[in-house]
Amino acid sequence: MIRWWPLYGLKRKLTEGKEYESRIRLRFTPEKIFNRSLFVYAIDVGSSNALNFEISALKSPQYNIHRFGIYFTDSPRHADVLLVLGQPVPLMIDPLMETINQLPKPFSIITIRDFPDRPGSVDFPELPNHIADLKGVPSPSEIIGLLLDVAKTKRKQS
Amino acid sequence: MKILIGIVESGSEEYLFVLENGKPVLIKADDKLIGKFANYEILRQKPLKINDKPIKGPGVFKFRYGPVTSGILEAGCYHLYTYGEKILNATINISWKKRDLEQAMQQKSPEESLFMAERICSNFAMSHSLAFSRAVEMALDIRPSLLTHNWRTLFIESERIYNHLHVIQKLASSAAQKVLAAHLSALFEDALRLSEALTGSRYLMGVNHIGKLSPTPEVSIIQKIIDGYQELKERFTKLYKKSLSDNNYLDRLHSSGTLTQEQAQTFGLTGPSLRACGVKGELYDDSRHLIDLPVITKKEGDALARMEVRAEEIVNSCQYLIDHLRVSDSWPEEGDEKVQTENTGGTGYALVNSPSGALGYYVEIVNRKMKQVNIFTPSYPGMHAISQVLEGHIFTDFPFVVDSFGVHFADAAC
Repeated sequence: MIRWWPLYGLKRKLTEGKEYESRIRLRFTPEKIFNRSLFVYAIDVGSSNALNFEISALKSPQYNIHRFGIYFTDSPRHADVLLVLGQPVPLMIDPLMETINQLPKPFSIITIRDFPDRPGSVDFPELPNHIADLKGVPSPSEIIGLLLDVAKTKRKQS
Repeated sequence: MKILIGIVESGSEEYLFVLENGKPVLIKADDKLIGKFANYEILRQKPLKINDKPIKGPGVFKFRYGPVTSGILEAGCYHLYTYGEKILNATINISWKKRDLEQAMQQKSPEESLFMAERICSNFAMSHSLAFSRAVEMALDIRPSLLTHNWRTLFIESERIYNHLHVIQKLASSAAQKVLAAHLSALFEDALRLSEALTGSRYLMGVNHIGKLSPTPEVSIIQKIIDGYQELKERFTKLYKKSLSDNNYLDRLHSSGTLTQEQAQTFGLTGPSLRACGVKGELYDDSRHLIDLPVITKKEGDALARMEVRAEEIVNSCQYLIDHLRVSDSWPEEGDEKVQTENTGGTGYALVNSPSGALGYYVEIVNRKMKQVNIFTPSYPGMHAISQVLEGHIFTDFPFVVDSFGVHFADAAC
């Protein structure tokens, strides 16, 4: 039965040909070195899980982010962008700073605070190369739009 | 059948929050009653380090997995004691995501607390929101309309569908079933979009309120939503049937993380994890006004059985939504509802069938401010079960055992 999977997989075109825009403007433009090859590492510092689910959704065939040269990496040592998910709990500040230490230069940091005024949470300390700070739960297309701004990739690729 | 869901301390008294024959009840604790529940001590102590029993021996070391690892995106940590391949003991540390939201809700209004409840574990946002609002409605003697009851039931099924798809997609991905995983991932995204069409939010947030709902979908788009669920059901059924003929996939799930009925009840498990052990009848039924959903059970109690329960529930939930959305425009708007109340205080509790099991709230309200909130989530007993069943497995079984329970650190460490 396994041999039928590729056929089943190929006969449906699931990837969408939409243009992805982000309403968020970058605080400053990162170096051009990321052109069309952007490796992203995601770290959860206290999110409510909606952002974790949106990262899963980003990997779905509808978005097919690899066509833009965007990849999620399994190690911060291979990452160009650190995507920080959630409003931090105090315990996660040290692991976050250690993760930043492991990033190769140049790198950029994007924070997404899903519940910015959560009681008991702490603010982020000064983060290096902090190019964007989002509030709420952005949709996958908004996150792609933002990553395309960093990668400076064409908006639409089939 | 009685399942202990949680323990409530109110003043100097202790009460047991029990799921009894499908209904939540609050019973004053006594030694005789406490002795009936094996999970009493766990729920009493509520340790943040679950199953914290370090193992020492020749060559034994602790393999730490988390809180920063791509394998588990959530902030949580597994401590696996091993001498190599075999897991001798697993400790789960949920403190990395502890946000103390029960305390944060105190002295807040019910509406402010509802906002927080939705953000405890947003993939269970509707379950948290509904359990909290039902508890508050009981406390303040608010009776929502039949229409509100009906729509809430549909929203819960919508949440169940995308959560179950996410679990099965993760299992397929861990078993290197890349094509299956990609298709399930596409269905997962489609399910989120259908939830958005239904409520305006991909995670069904902001639609449920105390005693009422935000405006429900326009009749003009309901047919489109029905078509969406019909297509999702057909595509998933096809994929699921194909996956069941793939021995490479099934071998990875079969006999992984097996639980017996007795073990499941000892941990106080509910939901698909309990139903996969062959236990029927724990389901909390509040959909008396709608057609009953069939209860899916399996006997084996392993990761495969848990996956099968979830898969069949996806198909049933899709059909349930299709059938009820078709007649939703004929549901009566008037009834014996009582949305406004002059009550400013009271005590209430409620349970909801979340995608991973019974999710409960106990609330005490004084002068329209929350005096006490207790949250009982299915992920906490689920984490205890995982830490026990991981023992004796090898590392490659880890994702199948963990993912098949469908539990989340955000839910366990609220």
